[in-house]
Amino acid sequence: MSLLAVVFELAFVVATMLVTATLVVVGPRRLAAAMRGYRRRLQVCALPLATLVVVLALRWSTVDVFTRLERRVLGTNITPLLFEIEETLLPQNPVVVLQSFQSPELTSFFVFTYIYGYAFLLLFPFIAYFALEEMDDLRTLLLAFTVNYGVGLICYVFFIAYGPRNVDPTIFQGLLYDAFPQSRMLTNEVNQNTNVFPSLHTSLSMTVFFLAWLTREKYPIWTGVAGVLAISVVVSTMYLGIHWFSDVVAGTLLALGSVYVGRHYTARGLLDSTRRYLDARLERLKRAGGFG
Amino acid sequence: MDEGASSSRRRLLAGAGGVAISALAGCSEAFWSRAENTGPEQVELTIKTVPADDDPFAAKILSQLRESCEAAGIDVTHVPSAKADLYREILLERDYDVFVARHPGLDEYDALYGLLHSQFVTERGWQNPFQFSDPTVDELLEAQRADGGDRQESITELVDFLEDTAPYSAIAFPHLVGGARTDVNAPSPPQQPLEYLDLLCREPDDGPRDEPLVVGVAGEDLANRLNPIAVDRNRVYGLLGLLYDPLVRRDRDTGEYIPWLAESVTWTDEDRLQATITLREGVTWHDGTDLTTDDVDFTVRFLGDTALGSVDGSIPAPRFRSRQTLVSEVQTIDSRTVTITFGDTVGDSAAKPTRDAAVRSLTIPLLPEHVWEPRSEVIAERQTEALVTDNEEPIGSGLFRLDEVTADGVELEPFDEHVFREFPLDRPDALEGFSQYDGLRFRIDPNVGAMVDALENGDIDVTASNVPPERVESIRDGEETTVISSTTDSFYLLGYNLERAPLVNHRFRQILSRLVDREYVVSEFFDGFAEPAMSPRSLLGLADDEHDDGVRSSIAEFPGTDGEVDDERVRTLFEEASYQYEDGTLLD
Repeated sequence: MSLLAVVFELAFVVATMLVTATLVVVGPRRLAAAMRGYRRRLQVCALPLATLVVVLALRWSTVDVFTRLERRVLGTNITPLLFEIEETLLPQNPVVVLQSFQSPELTSFFVFTYIYGYAFLLLFPFIAYFALEEMDDLRTLLLAFTVNYGVGLICYVFFIAYGPRNVDPTIFQGLLYDAFPQSRMLTNEVNQNTNVFPSLHTSLSMTVFFLAWLTREKYPIWTGVAGVLAISVVVSTMYLGIHWFSDVVAGTLLALGSVYVGRHYTARGLLDSTRRYLDARLERLKRAGGFG
Repeated sequence: MDEGASSSRRRLLAGAGGVAISALAGCSEAFWSRAENTGPEQVELTIKTVPADDDPFAAKILSQLRESCEAAGIDVTHVPSAKADLYREILLERDYDVFVARHPGLDEYDALYGLLHSQFVTERGWQNPFQFSDPTVDELLEAQRADGGDRQESITELVDFLEDTAPYSAIAFPHLVGGARTDVNAPSPPQQPLEYLDLLCREPDDGPRDEPLVVGVAGEDLANRLNPIAVDRNRVYGLLGLLYDPLVRRDRDTGEYIPWLAESVTWTDEDRLQATITLREGVTWHDGTDLTTDDVDFTVRFLGDTALGSVDGSIPAPRFRSRQTLVSEVQTIDSRTVTITFGDTVGDSAAKPTRDAAVRSLTIPLLPEHVWEPRSEVIAERQTEALVTDNEEPIGSGLFRLDEVTADGVELEPFDEHVFREFPLDRPDALEGFSQYDGLRFRIDPNVGAMVDALENGDIDVTASNVPPERVESIRDGEETTVISSTTDSFYLLGYNLERAPLVNHRFRQILSRLVDREYVVSEFFDGFAEPAMSPRSLLGLADDEHDDGVRSSIAEFPGTDGEVDDERVRTLFEEASYQYEDGTLLD
């Protein structure tokens, strides 16, 4: 199975899930109405959407530079710290506890959740919030995702952290790649094995869940689905031996922070204040240094 | 400044000082002694190895070592680092206390020279990474290399001495286990260039193929650095050896040396040991440039100093140095004939080396002067372009030329101008029937699981990366696949940084060496596909000879059972070496 085949399968499965969920949760009538007014909706969201796209593009295009910066210049290897904190603070490592319930069915379920469930969880809110009358929730979602990726990117440059499965295979098992080795082709495209702190799987899933909770009156079914799915994704990251409990805690905190920013700030406001700040600094520099 | 405030502050300070002094003066001796001496603290060790993605065996060995150390009251920090990063940290920066890694193997006793001679303490690569220096060892290393003395006796003495000093400890010699499609008739998973060539000479069941042999390898960043003299990289074993030809190749199975780019090697052994080498007619580099004896001379000079004299002292290559230091002079006679004079350029320069050691220097892969000479440019402190280049377009003189590197593979195309392709009659016996395939392709999978699946699907013909025991069964069960394995020279070892306390103490190292249950590691982690290093020779990574076979060294004896260390026993060992315990922690 090649990367292309893996991507194809992922696209097919997730598309099926998205269509089903759209029909059940959003409903064809609401969707049709939204499609008619797509131009206005997109215009309203143009700025936060562009910001997210820029951050994602930056992440993809600079992966080589960032990896080199991380591994050779800025990064600190915090893996032993994560390992020791959990050994000292907790009676038993949560990853070990979860893996003690291991069964083929459970592994299949969590592999499915980790890859397909996660992709669905991230994509569906875009459709759901796009179909609403007001675009506030979509803008919140876009900004919250941007914050997640931005902060994640910064953490990954400063922290070199390997997941449990990579540190000690006699204690922690790498269940994902044992069960579905080809998925590594996919995860390699998205991230390196040194970037586990914080868990972006956790932070993005929890972000979606927190936003689903805030919009529970508009989409009551979705709130339940998002809750179950998000918790499953979070548990799967540990069950599969990919993340430490600490990564999950950090990821949840990041989700809370991102949702707060998403709700209380706007992309325009943040950009404006950044510009004002830079202008002021430049002005002061000009006056002090006398250039210009 | 306000005078009053200042003077009152001064008075206050004087008063406080007076109180402090009188307090100290009246203090008990106990206080003074605590203030003056820092007191013993718990022994701490930072142990590095690769993540399980890169090598699950190394990670498991370290896991056991960590648990044994913790039982012994040592505070261990277990640091995983990707293969290229680990090599940089241990082989270039020497930043570690202990490491667990896989050494590519010692082909000859003389390989110990580079690993342990004090002359290499300041050098990089697998050239004394332990910072070991001992005059007796230097003397013995020089003696085994020199002609005239009793080499075996020097080696026996060296092995005895190193059993006491323990600058590093081998753990186990892993077998290479893999799988192949039954129709390619692979005898073993290929690793050395000659093994690849042997495989390409074997006719598949369905006759010669007009497509490449596909070899499966697994891992990350395997082909993004193709620099033959760099050590900080992950790599496909054998790949660069296929691209870069040496003058002679060593056949690992027979121990014989096969003239390769050299048509003939004539030895003269009077007051100096010399070899007159004639290159084969018409040898060229992959870019069409003629390969001449100037390139031979250049390679030797360049490995000794990649800056080619442009800095004070030299910036030697981190590889091939122990072989290169056997050559004292290269004299080109014409473009095809060269005389090499052997000596010991680090020890006694007048010494005459033994031929067994000297011939190793002819196995160094040749580098083209016109490509590498410009790379002698110094680009940073003690750093030349040659040491950092990725060498994306390697120009060698091997039977294969690099065609393309992609994210999931490396394509090698036949180099049609190679003398062995143009003149099949000149070929050595090892190339009988070469080649049954049109080229060679490495397919890179991100992990072993995906590689094994690709083998079972028929996407690859043979695997070259090690297949762990849990994946072997499915290859064995396959109708069209078969399990193949071979022994290798490589070994897992614990490397000690001898510049750091408490590792400066040989008694401490001897106990540390015992903290891995080698027999348990081999039976449980390797599922029997490895040999434990139990004898004094094998603890150094050397093959056992007839005297040594079955001898067990005391520093390979595990103080416990089934991989589980006996707390009491290990603590007694440390106490016998005059270490002390407080509340269960080992003090330095």
